[in-house]
Amino acid sequence: MASRFSGALQLTDLDDFITPSQECIKPVKIEKVKSKTGAKIKIGEDGYFDLSGGKEQKLQKVEITLADCLACSGCITSAESVLVTKQSQEELLRVLSERKYTDSKGVKRDVNLVVMSISPQPILSLAARYKLNVQEATNKLTGYFKKLGVDLVLDMRIAEDFAILEAQQEFLERYHNQQNDPAGKYLPMLASSCPGWVCYAEKTHGSFILPYISSTKSPQQIQGSLVKQFLAAKRELLPSSVYHVTLMPCYDKKLEASREDFYSEILSCQDVDCVITAIELEQMLSNEEKSLADLECANLDWPWEASDESGVWGHAGSGSGGYSDGVFMHAAEQLFGVTNPSMEYKNLRNPDFRVVSLDKDGKEVLKFAIANGFRNIQNLVQKLKRGKSPYHYVEVMACPSGCLNGGAQVRPPQGESTRDLVTHLNSLYRSLPQSEASENSLVSRLYTEWLSGRHSDKARALLHTQYHALEKSDVALNMKW
Amino acid sequence: MAKLELLQSINAHKGIVWNVCWHPAGKIFASCGEDKVINLWSKESQGWAVKTMLVDGHQRTIREVAWSPCGNFLASASFDGTTAIWDKKSGQFECNATLEGHENEVKSVAWSPSGQLLSTCGRDKSVWVWEVAGDDEYVCEAVLNAHNQDVKKVTWHPSLEILASASYDNTVKIYKEDQLDSDWNCIATLDSHESTVWSLAFDKTGERLATCSADNTVKIWKEYKPNNELGVSVSDQESVWKCVCTLSGYHTRCIYDVAWCHQSGLIATASGDDIIRIFKETEDSDPNAPTFDLICKKYDAHSQDVNCVKWNPTLNNELLSCSDDGQIKVWKFVEE
Repeated sequence: MASRFSGALQLTDLDDFITPSQECIKPVKIEKVKSKTGAKIKIGEDGYFDLSGGKEQKLQKVEITLADCLACSGCITSAESVLVTKQSQEELLRVLSERKYTDSKGVKRDVNLVVMSISPQPILSLAARYKLNVQEATNKLTGYFKKLGVDLVLDMRIAEDFAILEAQQEFLERYHNQQNDPAGKYLPMLASSCPGWVCYAEKTHGSFILPYISSTKSPQQIQGSLVKQFLAAKRELLPSSVYHVTLMPCYDKKLEASREDFYSEILSCQDVDCVITAIELEQMLSNEEKSLADLECANLDWPWEASDESGVWGHAGSGSGGYSDGVFMHAAEQLFGVTNPSMEYKNLRNPDFRVVSLDKDGKEVLKFAIANGFRNIQNLVQKLKRGKSPYHYVEVMACPSGCLNGGAQVRPPQGESTRDLVTHLNSLYRSLPQSEASENSLVSRLYTEWLSGRHSDKARALLHTQYHALEKSDVALNMKW
Repeated sequence: MAKLELLQSINAHKGIVWNVCWHPAGKIFASCGEDKVINLWSKESQGWAVKTMLVDGHQRTIREVAWSPCGNFLASASFDGTTAIWDKKSGQFECNATLEGHENEVKSVAWSPSGQLLSTCGRDKSVWVWEVAGDDEYVCEAVLNAHNQDVKKVTWHPSLEILASASYDNTVKIYKEDQLDSDWNCIATLDSHESTVWSLAFDKTGERLATCSADNTVKIWKEYKPNNELGVSVSDQESVWKCVCTLSGYHTRCIYDVAWCHQSGLIATASGDDIIRIFKETEDSDPNAPTFDLICKKYDAHSQDVNCVKWNPTLNNELLSCSDDGQIKVWKFVEE
């Protein structure tokens, strides 16, 4: 079976063919108990037993989680055994059925609230798959999740607007820093919402490339903070009793959700507990022999304020969320006083590397690019390494054609090309109402009421993250001949 | 009776000699090996001798060297994860570009027939296509993840921009560019070998491909284009490749290399049994089920594994071989 992760991740030793037990190099911590003699271990049919205490004591099985894999420079395993534990449709169904069981028995619930956040790209993918319009697809999906037992189904416009506003602000800061310190590593600012790209950068180019990557969290993780912190508090729930699921266009998002950076010791929970994807949703429906078209409709929830503004929104620019456009227009206005600049991209070597620039007084003052797909990531990284990158900002996504063509979007039916499908998804994305982040009044209210202001420490803590270079270790065990 | 006459035996490198490559004019060849050195050889009155040594280009074993079709550039693929491009614009050979991107060992490098594209592959299971962008600039055009194991060898069609790769996953994959989005796709998987495919070579038409494997066989594959006369069904308007001949029972160990002479049509193989074998297609061979005769078997061609065989590109029946034993041998094929 071909890996479902993006090409960038596949190259970083993501290995579908070993299970962690075979070749994992993660050192295992064993709690040592002092004993006078050496340990005696008996191998039984159902496990290993430590005999040194006088009686048989079952030894703990070693478990490797995705978070372990991400913190290691060895392989990333996508072996089912690892993914299934936290990040799968089975896990979602298990949580929901467990809750139904506790409810029916009147037992206290472990999970008080199940929240599903759905991003636009998989909705479009499923709309195309089941030949529905976007509104119908959204309502039927919502109906499906509600029927499964999900309490709240949310769109992600607020998180996406937060991500754009923070990226715009971060760009201005980096631009000024670069002016004041030309030797510093501030520009180009590289987009951070694609976890495949971030993980590749951490594992392969480490400290060289990481300073350029935007510290702004991806919409998935901002939504995570919103749900686990703001919404949980608003409903007076423990964040750890809220189970937060996202519907995403790519498998790499599962790795992102599992990062330790997005685990809170204090709240003892991840911001996003489970990620499922368009292709898994298609499978869930087919397991039940259902078509999305036959399901009942329901409306998206809007737990934020009284006036309901729920819906699926797009942004101007690319189908990956429009980062390049959003940051460019803001910078053009703030730095050079140019409003409504022309956003005509020129293809460079291929349609997945596109460039737009702003000229002022005959001088090119801003140069932005969109680089999709691993080959263009390569060329960008090599340009940076040789000091030949002319860009101020690059929207980097690991999948060719960006997130609309995410690795876990529903595949085209036989006889239809991926290109035609992506063209169709792109036109669907263009048909969505466009959100203008700076005009989102709820977001400005949340800045004030939740984050104590636009540039506060709290905003910094909840809307930004950090990256970690992983040193390569070529231990003998890790060598494969 | 046909035979291989030894013209010269050369102690070429310290340790394993991995690869040799004729310059397109056939008067120079390059060699590389475990000692991280590239040697350029030319024919003097006393026989073949080192003209130039290229050192300090790589930090680990050099696995393969390849001359560009114009003969002005030499590419070298190394276990240090890089591919170096050498030229002598300055008067002497220098490394003027380094292709980085593979995660670890690069196993093979090959130039397209136009010299505008370059392909590399390696242990990270990927096949890369690079475009020559001028001024020592090489741009990555594609990273192909079609194989699920170590990729051993890449080679180009003799006249078209069609690429083939051989892998530890027992398959061969064929790729070409999709003009609409200038991205490369795998258009065929050749699945029949039962162990690692070590090398592969097109015939001069490019419509047939010879592959050699650790399963001790050589297989001949034929391309069936859309609307072929034989009625072989073809989907998606891409050719299918069918195995039309398996040469089994000839080799007793792994076959590391196969060379298909574009002039004589002879197939030479390099094997772990230290033998070089030459196969010739029979006179009345059916194009859809061709037959080949083993016409020459050179026992103890080397004292250890034979890693590589290469026919001289000019019509002179000269054959180069190199081995784990540190030697390069120059042979003359004589058909009596």
